Amino acid sequence: MVETHTHVRTPAVQWRQYRRYLVSYGLLPCLLVMLFLLLGFYDERFWRVTNLINVMRNASYLMIISAGQMIVLIVGGFDLSVGGVAALTSVTMALAMVQLRNLIPDALTTVVVLGVLVGLITGFAIGFLNGFVVAILRVNPFMVTIGSMSVAYGVALYATAGVPVYGMPEVFSRNFANLQLFGLPVIVYLTIVILFAVWVAMGSTKLGRYIYAVGSNLHAASLSGVPTTVCIIVAYVASSLLASVTGVLLTARVGSGEANLAQTLMLESIAAAIIGGVSLRGGVGHVGSVALGALLLALVTNGLDIMHINSLFQPIVIGVVLVAAAGLDRIAPTVR
Amino acid sequence: MNALLHTLDSISRNGMRHSVAQLGINYGFLPVILVLTYLAFGVLEPRFLTANNALNILKQSSYLIIFAAAQLFPLLTRGYDLSVGMVISMISVASAMIMMAVLHATNDVPLAIVAAACGGFGIGVLVGVINGACVAALGINPFIVTLGMQGVAFGLATTLSGGFPVYNLPDAYSKIFAYSNWLGLPASVATCLIILGIVHIILSRTVFGRSLYLIGASPRAVHVAGLPSHRYNALAYVACACLTSIGALLLTARTASGEPNAGGDFMLKSIAAAVIGGVSLRGGEGRVIHCVFGGLFITVLSIGMNFVRVDGYIQQIILGIVVIAAVYFDQFRRRTRL
Repeated sequence: MVETHTHVRTPAVQWRQYRRYLVSYGLLPCLLVMLFLLLGFYDERFWRVTNLINVMRNASYLMIISAGQMIVLIVGGFDLSVGGVAALTSVTMALAMVQLRNLIPDALTTVVVLGVLVGLITGFAIGFLNGFVVAILRVNPFMVTIGSMSVAYGVALYATAGVPVYGMPEVFSRNFANLQLFGLPVIVYLTIVILFAVWVAMGSTKLGRYIYAVGSNLHAASLSGVPTTVCIIVAYVASSLLASVTGVLLTARVGSGEANLAQTLMLESIAAAIIGGVSLRGGVGHVGSVALGALLLALVTNGLDIMHINSLFQPIVIGVVLVAAAGLDRIAPTVR
Repeated sequence: MNALLHTLDSISRNGMRHSVAQLGINYGFLPVILVLTYLAFGVLEPRFLTANNALNILKQSSYLIIFAAAQLFPLLTRGYDLSVGMVISMISVASAMIMMAVLHATNDVPLAIVAAACGGFGIGVLVGVINGACVAALGINPFIVTLGMQGVAFGLATTLSGGFPVYNLPDAYSKIFAYSNWLGLPASVATCLIILGIVHIILSRTVFGRSLYLIGASPRAVHVAGLPSHRYNALAYVACACLTSIGALLLTARTASGEPNAGGDFMLKSIAAAVIGGVSLRGGEGRVIHCVFGGLFITVLSIGMNFVRVDGYIQQIILGIVVIAAVYFDQFRRRTRL
């Protein structure tokens, strides 16, 4: 017993610690580097700058939405509605821009800003409702977000009758989507800013620490005076808002408001979070690892494209990777 | 049974008026709401109350009830199966392709149907074994396992046949499994009743079934009691996938084609039907009869909305709200129960 308290560093202990670091921090970066090299050797077109930029762009969307998913997972919930929120944001924003454009045809920038605001408000509203029902009415988050997913897709499809909404200002759908800075898409910088903000918010603010506390032990957090209700609502709002941001960016890329926007986002965002080591039991998760998880998925998807594998196979691969990552996470402790 | 005794006791103590509320709190108000919904649609649209439509409701709901009964197994163990919808699609496409392949090779219709049924069921067993092994043996969260399986099944359903429905299935298949009457009941309803009977017996009379309730209520207790909890937990997912595959084969017979979209919203609807009916998401609570009422309610709601011409997308919105409301009232009921 004494030895465990004094810091005796026998080789065996050192080795065990080394392995622990390897499993928890080293595996994912190693996997990424390996995949990066393998894909490059498989087909050198992978190395091309245009392709690498494409990977970063696709990873960016996923990183933003996964960071939101992570916050909800940390607080001990799920958000199955993220895909629906992104789709509904896309539709409401596109419809708002088309309407506003008819009202004020001269101020296109204002139209875009107001349109994006409408989209983000939609996301905020759904997130608040999710959080309210989960935290105050105490309904199981799984059922709440599965229900709000159905509602969000239903509203989006009803508002557009399933047809894409065209007619957004080109400032948004062409100029903004293709805007580059120092050779990289602006979206990449935006993602870095958002990830940094999430990192600071979760790691260095009172609210962030509270969210971890609520996720690891709701009762204990509540007894310690943590405003648990506020924390849960904030987490769902953050998740929905980030899903909404992803919806805005994807809409700019696609150039139209789509009710069928990126239907695999829900699966992918949860997969990225789980691969990044976020626990489904709450209280554990780090935004850096989640970003790496999203990057891994983007690389895998890009690899499938390079190998000319039908994009319909992607959900199969993502599904397998998801279960494998979770399985590895379960086996890892016994390896240690 | 306890709840019934409790109710009788409360009748003798508090008189009739109080006991009606007590009955509702114990059993849920769903049967009452079901009847009211049925009558309400009847008032809006008298054609809704015809015997023909009643039969139609029974036929339509039989599929959903089968899927809800499938979902009951994992739900009892505090899990769920998110892959149900996409597995239905996958089995529909795969079995139709097997049927066509055998038909082309041998030109023997009965053989093709048997091969397709066995193939579809086999895929179901395989899916169940994989789900069950990952959940029970590897200890991975069922949410992750079945979400991953959903992705795999979705990918296979859309790629197997190139994303197109598999048409030209032999007429005999639809005739026997969708449009014939067995003992005066439509085939799907009869199958549904048989399945419900078997599930009821498994859950109430076998060690496996009783253990599922225990796993849901207290996983540790099962372990301490010396029961093979891992095996039973895995078997719950196998049972779920087996029932799902039977339902998928019946659905394929009804549409007379292998449909990559056959599963559609059955994942949401199967869980919703079970939970609305009164199966607890926290495990250990739920019976076949709950799935029946839940399945009937959702079907009455959707057929009724079709009758009064509610837009399909609006129906999706309403379903989402009903699910959330039902879970809320269910938790409210559980908290109020004395």
